[in-house]
Amino acid sequence: MKIAVCVKQVPDSETRINLAEPSAELDRSGFTRVLNPYDAYAVEEAIQIKEKLGDDTEVTAIIIGGEQVMESVKKDCLAVGCDKAIRVTDELDNAEALQIAKVLTAVVKRDGYDLVLCGKQAIDDDDSQVGIMLAELCDMAHVSVVTDLEFDGNNFTATREIEGGSEVVKGATPALFTCQKGLNEPRLPSLPNIMKAGMKPVELLTCADLGIEVPAAHTEITTYIPPAKRGECKIIENEDPAAAAQELAKLLREEAKII
Amino acid sequence: MQKYNGVDFYSFEKTLTDEQRSIRDTVRGFVENKFMPLVRDSYRDGTFPLELSSEMGQIGLLGSSISGYNCPGLSYTDYGIICQELERGDSGLRSFASVQGSLVMWPIATFGSDEQKEKWLPALASGSAIGCFGLTEADHGSDPGSMITTATPDGDNWILNGNKMWITNATTADVAVIWARGPEGISGFLVEKRTDGFSSAPIHGKMSLRASDTGELILDNVKIPGSCQLPGAKGLKAPLACLNQARYGIAWGAIGAAAACYDHALKYAQEREQFDKPIAGFQLVQAKLVEMITEITKAQGLVYRLAQLKDAGIDDVYLTSMAKRNNVAMALDCARVARDILGAAGITDDHPIARHMANLESVYTYEGTHDIHTLIIGAEITGIPAYRG
Repeated sequence: MKIAVCVKQVPDSETRINLAEPSAELDRSGFTRVLNPYDAYAVEEAIQIKEKLGDDTEVTAIIIGGEQVMESVKKDCLAVGCDKAIRVTDELDNAEALQIAKVLTAVVKRDGYDLVLCGKQAIDDDDSQVGIMLAELCDMAHVSVVTDLEFDGNNFTATREIEGGSEVVKGATPALFTCQKGLNEPRLPSLPNIMKAGMKPVELLTCADLGIEVPAAHTEITTYIPPAKRGECKIIENEDPAAAAQELAKLLREEAKII
Repeated sequence: MQKYNGVDFYSFEKTLTDEQRSIRDTVRGFVENKFMPLVRDSYRDGTFPLELSSEMGQIGLLGSSISGYNCPGLSYTDYGIICQELERGDSGLRSFASVQGSLVMWPIATFGSDEQKEKWLPALASGSAIGCFGLTEADHGSDPGSMITTATPDGDNWILNGNKMWITNATTADVAVIWARGPEGISGFLVEKRTDGFSSAPIHGKMSLRASDTGELILDNVKIPGSCQLPGAKGLKAPLACLNQARYGIAWGAIGAAAACYDHALKYAQEREQFDKPIAGFQLVQAKLVEMITEITKAQGLVYRLAQLKDAGIDDVYLTSMAKRNNVAMALDCARVARDILGAAGITDDHPIARHMANLESVYTYEGTHDIHTLIIGAEITGIPAYRG
């Protein structure tokens, strides 16, 4: 089985964005970049499927971005068990979902994967669209927000999260799934595998190599607006729920003076 | 409070490779997600969370600087980064890895026979076997050369007699590296758990390193085959070479403990308000924080340079002594200042600081006391060893 995992590097969720006034540009220079956390579930699922099916299964991580994305590819994809990676090098930072999906489609169609796994959304733009668009463009079955995935030959049973419950979906490969928290627990890479990850193959491609134009954007981001200032937040860290509740009641009474 | 993101004021980590940063992140992730949820209860109970040993093995944290036998063969810099991250969790966690890697696996890899390496290194690397190191005795600490544990030849066997004290992993170890005085001076032996006459007992009432197994080893006419002797370990310099490996990890680890205290005190000071503003806004508190980060940064300068020297094969004992001596004392000072910044809250185990502070009292003393390292450096610069008559 050929499995592709589409991944993205995003700013760490604790990154502080310096934006005092509305602006057309964001200063991204100080961002700490990590693998999109939902993509880590996709990587882990691909590796677990490979472990079940055996060595004939090949897992390829696909990413779009500059040289700086390689740290995440090596550590969070190749060191934990992906066999190889493909990096599309065209400048597509902050591109629309459809632009990204079109580029990924060219890769997936070229290589013919049986299974494509994506995170359910990237935590920077929160679009939640790339995976589904990719499946549609490839004319492939897809199930989004998956929390459980089982295979019987080419047939799959996927459980997806819906409002207030879950839904069980059956179908056959080729198929694409977008992965939700709870699907699995991503493993830590072992130190020997971190050292070996640099030796795994990474194919560099451009849209031209894939026989397509760099997809054009339909929209333009004009302004980033900082959120309105919120009141101060106090976090009660007591691990004992009863003691934490008591502390909360005390604060509400003595500091907030609302009870 | 925000998650721990390390302390790297001088951007030493920018000079690391992608792989080294990945190692840092992996160990940090392990400490944060697997160890931190357990440490408070472990410390209260006075136990090491042994259930983590196989995961530590899987990740490659045990014997990481050894090559072959399923060990990763990492550089000294890599090993230092690992120790810094582990001790940010607790000195007991770093001690577990130091003892297993530097004091058990390293002597087997360096002084052991092929048969001993085959038998023990893969099992110790995976965490399925635990090791301990028996050098110190109740009456022979800083002067191990005066030890009274004996190894007497008996045909093809050895008979060991004596007691070893202050031994990390004593009661949980499957194999002990025992140093004993034989007819040809001090030699090393591998003694397996459940060998007749070999027993252990925990040391009770510890106020420090509580999340660590510390005990005594009792050797009462323990008969072991000649094949259990470490063939390459001749004289006191062999166990001292092991300690030099372990001290190197301590020099890095102490920075982790200091960084944990600094990071916690900084965040606390930014949130804690008195006189209508965060206490971090007061000059006296800022002075304390500045002193801490300056000392941590200086300590990092020492170990990054020491790692370069060791990776280049320059491994004089006094170089490691300076880093161990300075960095542990620095960490202990940081812990005390951090406790001061937290006020009364600093003495409870809701915060990690008093735990680190108490641990560092042990770290200050073990693997060569602060004073002994002073004398090692003193001997090097004056040419006169103060500890010899």
